[in-house]
Amino acid sequence: MSLLTAGMPEIQLDNVEMRYRTEAADVLALHQVTLNIAKGEFVSLLGPSGCGKTTLLRLMADLLTPTGGNVTVAGKSAKEARLARKYGIVFQSPVLYDWRKVKHNITLPLEMMGVKKSVREEKALELLELVGLQGFADKYPWQLSGGMQQRVAIARALSMEPEILLMDEPFSALDEFTRERLNEELLSVWSKVRSTIVFVTHSIPESIFLSDRVFVLSPHPGRLSAVVDIPLPRPRTSGMRNSQQFYDLVSRIRGSFEGV
Amino acid sequence: MMEGSPATSLITTGNESLPAELETRTAQRFRKVPGPGLWLPLLAGMLFLAMWELQLFHRLFDLKKYQLPLPSAIYEALRDNFSLLLSYTGYTLAEAVLGMLIGSASGFVVALAATAWPRWGGGSLTLVAALNAVPIVALAPIMNLWFGDGIGSRAAIVTATTMAAMAINACKGMSAVDPLALDLMHSYAAGKKEVFRYLRIQNSLPYVFTALKINTTASMIGAIVGEFFFSSRGLGYLLSNSIKVAKMPLGWSCIVLAAVAGVLFYLIVERLEKVFIRWHSSRRA
Amino acid sequence: MRGQHILLRSRALPLVVWVMGLLAVWEGASWLLLHAAKVPLAQSKLPYVHEVAATLWKYSGTLLKEGGATFGNAGVGFLLGAAAGAGLAVLMSLSRTVERLAFPYAVASQMIPILGLAPIIYGIVRDEQVSRIIISGYITFFPVSLNMLRGLRSVDLPAVELMHSYAAKPWAVYWKLRLPASLPGLFSGLKIAAPLAVTGAILVELMGAQHGIGVIMLRNLYYGPSHTYMFWSTVVVGASLGMASYGLMSLIERLVSPWQPEFRPKGGAK
Repeated sequence: MSLLTAGMPEIQLDNVEMRYRTEAADVLALHQVTLNIAKGEFVSLLGPSGCGKTTLLRLMADLLTPTGGNVTVAGKSAKEARLARKYGIVFQSPVLYDWRKVKHNITLPLEMMGVKKSVREEKALELLELVGLQGFADKYPWQLSGGMQQRVAIARALSMEPEILLMDEPFSALDEFTRERLNEELLSVWSKVRSTIVFVTHSIPESIFLSDRVFVLSPHPGRLSAVVDIPLPRPRTSGMRNSQQFYDLVSRIRGSFEGV
Repeated sequence: MMEGSPATSLITTGNESLPAELETRTAQRFRKVPGPGLWLPLLAGMLFLAMWELQLFHRLFDLKKYQLPLPSAIYEALRDNFSLLLSYTGYTLAEAVLGMLIGSASGFVVALAATAWPRWGGGSLTLVAALNAVPIVALAPIMNLWFGDGIGSRAAIVTATTMAAMAINACKGMSAVDPLALDLMHSYAAGKKEVFRYLRIQNSLPYVFTALKINTTASMIGAIVGEFFFSSRGLGYLLSNSIKVAKMPLGWSCIVLAAVAGVLFYLIVERLEKVFIRWHSSRRA
Repeated sequence: MRGQHILLRSRALPLVVWVMGLLAVWEGASWLLLHAAKVPLAQSKLPYVHEVAATLWKYSGTLLKEGGATFGNAGVGFLLGAAAGAGLAVLMSLSRTVERLAFPYAVASQMIPILGLAPIIYGIVRDEQVSRIIISGYITFFPVSLNMLRGLRSVDLPAVELMHSYAAKPWAVYWKLRLPASLPGLFSGLKIAAPLAVTGAILVELMGAQHGIGVIMLRNLYYGPSHTYMFWSTVVVGASLGMASYGLMSLIERLVSPWQPEFRPKGGAK
């Protein structure tokens, strides 16, 4: 299905290798990873800790440079894509600046791009509404709960209207209930902005619920071990978590880890 | 109870974690095999001394040699008066150590009171912090009136200047206990005294040493500045007197020795900290 | 609003009681020394509080003027020293070489009795105005620089990576991230340095100057017991200058960086 929608892939990794050289040893963090992500697709990078999923995301973000292979983002090299501000990123922690009010945290990337102040403020209010935080514009980050802070971080990433949204375990620090609610909210936001999303997670249900496709990674060395299509219809509802199809997908992905 | 009032956070803010950080950073720098971290500052220091000796600064700022003596002259003064300087250093150091011990001990007592009875004891903490804002130079004549011009007067000045840092830091350490550890104590039906004995005092040790390190410097300053005005012995006395009679090199050699003594004093306290905190954590583990 | 008011009262009340109590004990002890123990120089050692207060009131004009001179000179030195210290901190955070050169000396300077340099600097400059400014500046320089550097370094990696992901220019990383993040460090340096700068300025005045609170302090000390109330008044003014300098820095800190964790109300949302 996803292959049909793909013209030119939005993100393309070709034989990517990542090697860390420490004094003690050479660590092969990623070995020969090749994958394509189509425009508008929602994919997850799933795996246990140490499988290199975060490294993979950082390579796409040009926060790391691969020691081998090619990373192409939006038809450019990863670095060019970063300089052209093609993606927004959300980290595991919200990384909000303490000294900025919520709305000014959201406008931070726009300031970088030289957007006019009135436009910025308007955009911030619009985004706050999108992530369900209207009325919190003039609060400081510490006045918000962890889940609300992460929503601000998502709004900030969306403020520059990126083609791509990179998310590195954004909800892993939150409790199960908040996480499931935010999963649904993320999908509803995505249905409006329709950007390409790459979502790193170590939760099998989360990856299934969110994604069109799940890339399963295994450790030592980090490599792509399976790609699983998620044929659940959209829009997805919380009820689907209890469907037989969902359970089957969970066991299928769990099965792909066996023998590792 | 205490964080809010401006005067109470007088010493703690910032300085508190500073020495610890400095220590690890310098340790990192110097433990390595001679790298640029060591020879670069050394080289710069030597270059500075050489420029000074060659009178570059004198030409630059239009200074005479009697205003800014050359390093060689300072060294000569140091060598010629070494035994006198050494005995004065001992005298000043004795004042500093004595005052610091009394000051830190009383500061600790204030902290105990402030933690045990937050509402009423907290006021004493604020007062001690206010005492700390009194310039040392204003304390000197008063202490001179009270304690004469002997060692007691400077010890009293140092006491007054070291009390606050200890009181504030120790109180912070005693208050910053893990709430769960406090609950555990309550589950043992421990009284106020037991909570202090088994939990709070232990917990305050790292903070106490932070205060002691701040106080080493403060005590040397207190002792020396105290000697400037009403004393017949000590480094501070010799320093201000040498300047008055234009014996600049001797004055500078006092500063050199004061610096050396100050650094040594600091390093000793730091060493003690390592010993005690190791004991502390091993006891806890 | 009402809760805050009660909190304020409950915090202020013990302090007021303490201060009042201390003053009462002082007054009593002073009476004892003078009339019961008949100690020589009793009023010089522990004067009546009401007499000192009366003198403070009577000579408030002079005291304010001289105190202002001290405060002004200390202030100029303090500002220069703080600016230079902050500058050095930025340089050290930018360049490893500068840091390696300056850092060990900055650390060592924290361990040596800097105020001891006052007579030396006065000896070199021989100008009260200039040496007051130099001493205050010098005392301010290192605490500000070390604390500011700590603040500049307190930025954690993800915050920098975020900037990197925006392809931010180096100046933007400083202006939007590192400098705001360093404000708490900068202010703790300033709060340490401010009372020290005042002390430094008074010290220079005691070594021979024409104006400043230290000058009348010394003068009244020499005049002997008859001027003891005036002497104690100058001590009170000196102490107030020290506390005022600290309070001023705290106030500015609250205005400039109200977002700091320590200013957050306790018991609120997280």
